[in-house]
Amino acid sequence: MAILETNSLTKKYRRITALDQLNLIVEPGMVFGMLGPNGSGKTTTLGLLLDVLKPTSGSYRWFGEEPSANSRKKIGAILESPCFYPFMTATQNLKVVASIKECPPTQIERVLKMVGLWERRDDPFKTYSLGMKQRLAIGSALLSDPAVLILDEPTNGLDPMGIFDIRQLIRDIAAMGKTIMVASHLLDEVQKVCSHFMVLQKGTKLFQGSVDEALGDQRTIEVASDEHELLGRHLAELAGVDKLTFEEGVYKITPGADLNTQAVNRFLFDRNMVAHHLVEKGGDLEQQFLKILSDQGA
Amino acid sequence: MVRLLEIEWLKVRHHRPFWILIGLYALCVTVICSGGKIFLQYIESRGANFNGIGPSILPIYDYPDVWQNITFVAAIFKIFLGFIMVISIANESNYRTLRQNIIDGLSKREFFLGKILVCCVLAGASTLLLLVIGVVVASVYSSVQGFEYMFDSMSFLLAHFLAVFSFLVFSLFLVLLIPKPGLLIVGLFMYTLIFEPMVSAIITYAPHGKEWLRPVAQYLPITSMNNLNHIPFPRYVMQEIQDYILLKEVIIASVWVLVNAALGYYVLRRKDW
Repeated sequence: MAILETNSLTKKYRRITALDQLNLIVEPGMVFGMLGPNGSGKTTTLGLLLDVLKPTSGSYRWFGEEPSANSRKKIGAILESPCFYPFMTATQNLKVVASIKECPPTQIERVLKMVGLWERRDDPFKTYSLGMKQRLAIGSALLSDPAVLILDEPTNGLDPMGIFDIRQLIRDIAAMGKTIMVASHLLDEVQKVCSHFMVLQKGTKLFQGSVDEALGDQRTIEVASDEHELLGRHLAELAGVDKLTFEEGVYKITPGADLNTQAVNRFLFDRNMVAHHLVEKGGDLEQQFLKILSDQGA
Repeated sequence: MVRLLEIEWLKVRHHRPFWILIGLYALCVTVICSGGKIFLQYIESRGANFNGIGPSILPIYDYPDVWQNITFVAAIFKIFLGFIMVISIANESNYRTLRQNIIDGLSKREFFLGKILVCCVLAGASTLLLLVIGVVVASVYSSVQGFEYMFDSMSFLLAHFLAVFSFLVFSLFLVLLIPKPGLLIVGLFMYTLIFEPMVSAIITYAPHGKEWLRPVAQYLPITSMNNLNHIPFPRYVMQEIQDYILLKEVIIASVWVLVNAALGYYVLRRKDW
């Protein structure tokens, strides 16, 4: 059973179509990235899925059921900025959430410790830094031990340490087997935490697939040696090379399926050459993303 | 139901402006509703008299008059309670906690029901306060005492409950429609205390007005609340007043409660939050 299934989900505002005919399936255990530039419809999609926006047409199902407040209790979600009562403390705010989600308030201690806010639990929300607010939002989303976690731009506006912490938290939660949906305009972020992703642009889905597959044909092997001309001549004879380029003193091999660094090393060794740089690099989602966008334009 | 009340309680419990406005309301109502005699003694000392009688002997706190008199005076302060609704719900919209409540798993129906319960509790508390004030001032000033007199005309308390509840539901609808507290507080004040009473008075009493238009005034929303309790004081200058509650007026006010609640719920359902 799919966690989430959407069927031609569409949202139109007066002049613009914020989301156009979205069909999407999210399976259990996926860390699903929603990638797209600002204003591409990521938050709109999540708003529709969480019943805070009314769809113009189309439908969606959570856990194979018609959407209801009860299905939302099994989802932990934050949309855009963290929303809490500013005059209330972390504990007081989470008490409200616990009553809404009908989960025991004893969970509050667990999530506050998990996101590192236990020490500050009795300070009003308005005194928190952005990173703390963001962490409280994640803690709140985890309060009912939900099957699905939805995070919208979770690292927006955070400092590098905060970003690192949040990403680590997402990976920890994913390791617990939860399904996670992350909306982000940061390619790097999606690449680092997601197993699957889709690309949205101007409300239209351009691509959906797994991160590994998308990056699979993006593998490169970099080789460099002191005698780069000789190296070049040898590499030209190497079997299983799809493409060979030379940039800034480094040869970049786009390998076929069977070629790896070990084979390259052995090959050079047999020809009495030593490389001072030999490394395999996974693809870069940025290149893939730009390729998807340009394919679409073509 | 209990859960919805609990959620609303958790929300207001630590909200200082809420308690300040409640306190202000209770203070105003208590002072004005129980200070009538002192006020009359004061104006008498400044030389006022009505047809030769000193105002301080007017039996404003005697059973059964006390109920109609204090609920009539208290009615004007319901605007404070309206402000409480406006501020708390405009905050829910501006802090985006309304949206977060829905995301967290509160249905819009439950959210609305919770707010209706708040209206109910506020109207109930206000009614209870007036009951206490009535009993206290009557025990001090009333020339007749005893349980057999106390319950006479107490139905004005129920009318007061309906009027306050109706006004709060009206405020609830408006703030869901326009979640801008500043604008709405000024607007609500102007409309409730100035605009509609003026329009209502013009329609009813204008000498050259259309005859068919005169009865229309009673169907206006604020007028329908005010009509639950007609001005009682002319009786002290020997004029006839309506010292009872008309079923028709109760029905009009109740219909407004339903209309405003339905409109409020419709707006909440239809809007993108």
